Amino acid sequence: MNFAMALDYQSCINCKACEIACKEENGVQLGADKQRIWVGQRESSIFGNPFVNYYPSQCNHCQDAPCVDVCPTGASYFAEGGIVMADKDKCILCKGCMEACPYDARFVDDKFVAVDKCTFCYDTRISQGETTTACQATCPTKVRLFGDLDDEEGELVKLLKRRKFFVLKEAEGTVPKLFYLFPENDTHFAENSIAHDTTIHTWESFKPLIEKAKQKRESQWISI
Amino acid sequence: MKIEVSRRKFLQGSVALTIFGGSTLSSMNLLGDHDLNRKELLNKKVPTLCEMCVNKCAAIAHIQEGIVKKLDPNPRFPKSRNMLCPRGVAGIHALYDPDRLKYPLVRVGKRGAGKFKRVTWDEAYHAILHGTKEFKGLKQILEEERDNRSTIGYCAGEGMAEHTFKSFMANKLGSTNFVNHASICLQTTVSAHALTIGAYGQADLTNANYVIMAGANRAEAIVTPDTMDIFKRTRGRGTTLIVIDPRYTNTAALADEWLGIKVGTDLALVLALTYIVIKEGLYNKKFVAQNVNGFDAYREHIISNHYTPEWAEGITGIRAEKIVKIARDFMAASPRAIYYQGRRTTWGFQDFQLRRATAIFTALGAGIDVKGGIVFGKKLTLASHTVNTPIYANALGRIDQDVAAIVGANGSWIGWRNKIIESKSPYPIRAMFTYKQNPMLSVPNVAKTKKLFEMMDLVVTIDTMPSDTVIMSDVILPECTYLEREDPIKSFGGVEPSIALRQKVIDPLYESRPVFEILKGLSHKLSRPLWEITQKYDEDVIDEIKERGESTVYREDGFDLTDAFSHSQEQINQECFTKEYGAEAYSKLREGGVYYPNMESYFKQISSNEYEYYPDDKRYYSVLKEKPKSEIYSGDCVDEKELASMEGKVATKSGKVECNLAFLTKKGVDAMPTWREELYRDTPKGKFRFITGRHAQFTQNATTNNAMLLDLVRENYVWINKRQADELMIAHGDLVEITSPTGSVTIKAYPTNKIIEDVVFYVHGFGATSDALTLGYRNGASDNMIIADDIERVFGSAVMHETNIEIKKV
Repeated sequence: MNFAMALDYQSCINCKACEIACKEENGVQLGADKQRIWVGQRESSIFGNPFVNYYPSQCNHCQDAPCVDVCPTGASYFAEGGIVMADKDKCILCKGCMEACPYDARFVDDKFVAVDKCTFCYDTRISQGETTTACQATCPTKVRLFGDLDDEEGELVKLLKRRKFFVLKEAEGTVPKLFYLFPENDTHFAENSIAHDTTIHTWESFKPLIEKAKQKRESQWISI
Repeated sequence: MKIEVSRRKFLQGSVALTIFGGSTLSSMNLLGDHDLNRKELLNKKVPTLCEMCVNKCAAIAHIQEGIVKKLDPNPRFPKSRNMLCPRGVAGIHALYDPDRLKYPLVRVGKRGAGKFKRVTWDEAYHAILHGTKEFKGLKQILEEERDNRSTIGYCAGEGMAEHTFKSFMANKLGSTNFVNHASICLQTTVSAHALTIGAYGQADLTNANYVIMAGANRAEAIVTPDTMDIFKRTRGRGTTLIVIDPRYTNTAALADEWLGIKVGTDLALVLALTYIVIKEGLYNKKFVAQNVNGFDAYREHIISNHYTPEWAEGITGIRAEKIVKIARDFMAASPRAIYYQGRRTTWGFQDFQLRRATAIFTALGAGIDVKGGIVFGKKLTLASHTVNTPIYANALGRIDQDVAAIVGANGSWIGWRNKIIESKSPYPIRAMFTYKQNPMLSVPNVAKTKKLFEMMDLVVTIDTMPSDTVIMSDVILPECTYLEREDPIKSFGGVEPSIALRQKVIDPLYESRPVFEILKGLSHKLSRPLWEITQKYDEDVIDEIKERGESTVYREDGFDLTDAFSHSQEQINQECFTKEYGAEAYSKLREGGVYYPNMESYFKQISSNEYEYYPDDKRYYSVLKEKPKSEIYSGDCVDEKELASMEGKVATKSGKVECNLAFLTKKGVDAMPTWREELYRDTPKGKFRFITGRHAQFTQNATTNNAMLLDLVRENYVWINKRQADELMIAHGDLVEITSPTGSVTIKAYPTNKIIEDVVFYVHGFGATSDALTLGYRNGASDNMIIADDIERVFGSAVMHETNIEIKKV
């Protein structure tokens, strides 16, 4: 089991249903800056013509996660399927993990006085036998697909074999597991929405990275 | 739906014909609650329908310990596919909003001052009938007006229970003076499509290959299933989406092309597109020959008026060669090509003709009643009920019939209101009943709406939240939210028709009640006392009583207002459904929330994100055409243009698409879409044109106090073109004052390249002034504070994009 998510980000309409569903599902603290997931927005213009791109995002559940390494109390840990979790009881709010995260995916939950973050809905849904996260389930244009990278016959791997993809901040070396599907049929949009140095991957090119990172970290995965 | 009219003549004007009440039922316990133990009752999942906006998407409510914890999408409903938008998911905060109206209230201070006293339901009904020392009651008003029931005005917002309210007010209480959202929303496009192609239809965006969306903003103003269907298919994934809008909306961001058009000029664009199609002979000639009326006259009209792309370029700001290309591409993709009908189309003075022109344009490509075009689909039958409707001889016709060429049963909100406040009404409107609408924020010119309420002898509102309108009331009747009530069962027509049910998820909180129960209680209070007034002044009734006796006439002729509520909503729904589909199907409907014939074999999950509702060959794309002949339809080899051109009777009077509607001329309306320079309002130098719109996180002004949604958008900002903002030294977040002849507001600025020059925009729904809305109070600005209350001349609809404003930094 190695949980991950693919995002067909060019279908995102920035309605933020995912953000609300996440908050309702997981009881996330109210407040515009208290977010487990979000829709990143890049707005600019070329020769006066505006363009806007949306990047729905959340914790990348990195396979080689720096947030786990820096945590002094073991509050940050890998759960089953490599899901990166934050144990509120163990957190001493040193915020080292928030500094270490390349994606700014963690925040302080003032209710529990502890760090909070995306869990891939592990406790509310996945561990109960459901196969979708709240953000995926509610999405009008079905941007997200949650799945298991170890299941070669599963929907997620099949999709990644069919479509090219990229990850955010690959150079950080954390082997993130949010796969952004490359827009195949609109090169103009693709160019506008991807940085010049972004590596476009295929399943063949990325799979070794996953396997290597998993080998390194799997012994730390804790069944909860 | 049928109406049983038991007396001799109809009311003047139009009467809404929606019905409740009815016949006998078995005594089956509908909810089966007695079988459930306490734990199951407290922890359960209930399928229901959302009411956070007008779409009615299917949701599943998760209840733990008797509390609604989560709303998930119900994948079983074809209309909403398998999704719940941000407002839908945030519905819990409508239910548990601490500012909700909890108890019946009666005004004790000055009207509008916000001082109310908590009363019992009976005391509230008593106040409506008899008044208090602060305001008059219905009894006195109708006594003074000699039983002219139409002196009671009433309005309602869109919703599944709108007809419950409307039917009571029209068919039982007997007033003709109803206004609703139509004339501030979609009247022009719905009526224009009905007159031109027979019905508004549904854009088949799953199969269209070319779509023009002008002004419509499906990424932000979500309409299901349109929103879900189109945005998975743009940018080389099946459909070409052209967005034409003064604003670069989220829809534009996902489109293949965005063209910034000058406000109020869309009609010129469509006429020029039509010009090219006619001039170059690109239209589907066979379809036009078989299915279109008045085409020769229209062709002559378009050509002789020289509606050329070059002419349109000068008006719209869109380059002529671009117009030519769009016309050609559209027709090449036809019949799977749609000029999208749009929804809220109260833009400008020429709006009706604009919608006529787009409907004809789509029809020229034969994109009517065909896969990938505007389709009509099928609607599943539900049995109807009858209501015993009284006729009041003294109830006069509606007061706004002369404000425009065609004023229907939904009225002209602005025209109606202005007649009253300008004392031009043929008889006084003395009471106002408001259900689930907030005209203080939703109708242009807030000062005038306020005046309307101030003039009333009695104002009664039924709502869930203390809106700006509720604050203007004398009697407030707290309705429960959609999660606490069962609404009338509804059949959703379309390509994939179904029936869905809004079921009660939990019992009503506080002392709130469903509108059905509210009206039932009111009917018991009002029925006898108002009947006494009718007996005094209604000569027909006096005659009837002489012949047949008082109690017979009261009972048999429908004057007993309570007879409409002799069965519960649940009983009525059961009866309506089981008559057609049986008891077994009914229990399945209640269990799953959705029903359609063959659902068990048709409905299946395809992937973790996708469901199939009907197999493709069972969908109702073409419902008007005869079965295709074998030479044009053989297996996989289909000539779609040929197929689309077949004869099929649309629902217009002639059965054909109407280019030339001669009867309109008698009403002073052009028979064919014609550009009228005198109806075009220019924007003088130094001023800006104001436009309004929606976004995905708020529904009009109804969600303004929702804690979860306010996390996403705290207040609205005014969009202004970046270059012009720089000139005016306006930076992001600066407070600016916007002034129009109607009023002025202050709001923060958002300079951006996403809007063309000389236009400013801010989203509708903000700027509530009711301080009973703890979170929603005074966030941003209300658009209707500044929008002028002009109306277009066909239906008396609002024109929300015809106001020029001045903007300056505060």
